[in-house]
Amino acid sequence: MLPLSLLKTAQRHAVLVELKNGETYNGYLQQCDTWMNLHLSEVICTSKDGQRFFKMAEAYVRGNTIKYISVPEEVIDKVQEENLRRDEKRPARGRGRGGRGWAMGGGRGDGGQGEGGRGEGGRGGGRGDGGRGGRGGGRAGGRGRG
Amino acid sequence: MSKAKESAVDLAKFVDKGVRVKLAGGREVQGILKGYDQLLNLVLDEAVEYLRDPEDPLSVTDETRTLGLLVCRGTAVMLVAPSTGMEEIANPFLGAKAEGEAAGGDDDS
Repeated sequence: MLPLSLLKTAQRHAVLVELKNGETYNGYLQQCDTWMNLHLSEVICTSKDGQRFFKMAEAYVRGNTIKYISVPEEVIDKVQEENLRRDEKRPARGRGRGGRGWAMGGGRGDGGQGEGGRGEGGRGGGRGDGGRGGRGGGRAGGRGRG
Repeated sequence: MSKAKESAVDLAKFVDKGVRVKLAGGREVQGILKGYDQLLNLVLDEAVEYLRDPEDPLSVTDETRTLGLLVCRGTAVMLVAPSTGMEEIANPFLGAKAEGEAAGGDDDS
């Protein structure tokens, strides 16, 4: 189970977020993203000393200020359900991925060629290694120059 | 693939509205959101900073100082919230204390 997939599953649930500065935020997790930025609604903010409380309709919390997020216990069951569902689909996906594998290889190759192209420009030497050698070729070129 | 990085933050609905921004280091600013970017850099107009008590820098006071037109650097932004509907309230967890000591516990119910 990945932390961010748990968090994604916790969407629309009540969570408690503590920031690095010690403030805590209770609210409904509306959305989260790959940076752990959160969108909370019906938020209650508790000050660091736990003495003052603020209500806000919603709040965006920047992911890198978060210390931890407490999620309701029942979310973990839903994650497992989702994982099961994913597992059921997996055979089909595996085949799909095989197909995609080629596509990805091609994509990587393109990138490599881009880098290789830069290398070629610098050295004036055409090294047609193909996609896979793109990066290596670039590095080798650097060493050669040094 | 839907790997396109989508931010959970959508500040479009706050444009030309009052927002409260908490910054790394403890400062708090309120102003009218005039613009923003994906790095969370913000443009605030008519911005005021809520000052903190030098004796007790943990929490802000009602004392303010005017900053005017302001660019907030995204990396320093910790929290963005609409300023309307933001108010200090009495401890909301006291009544629900029986349900659990943890502040999170009572919200879960």
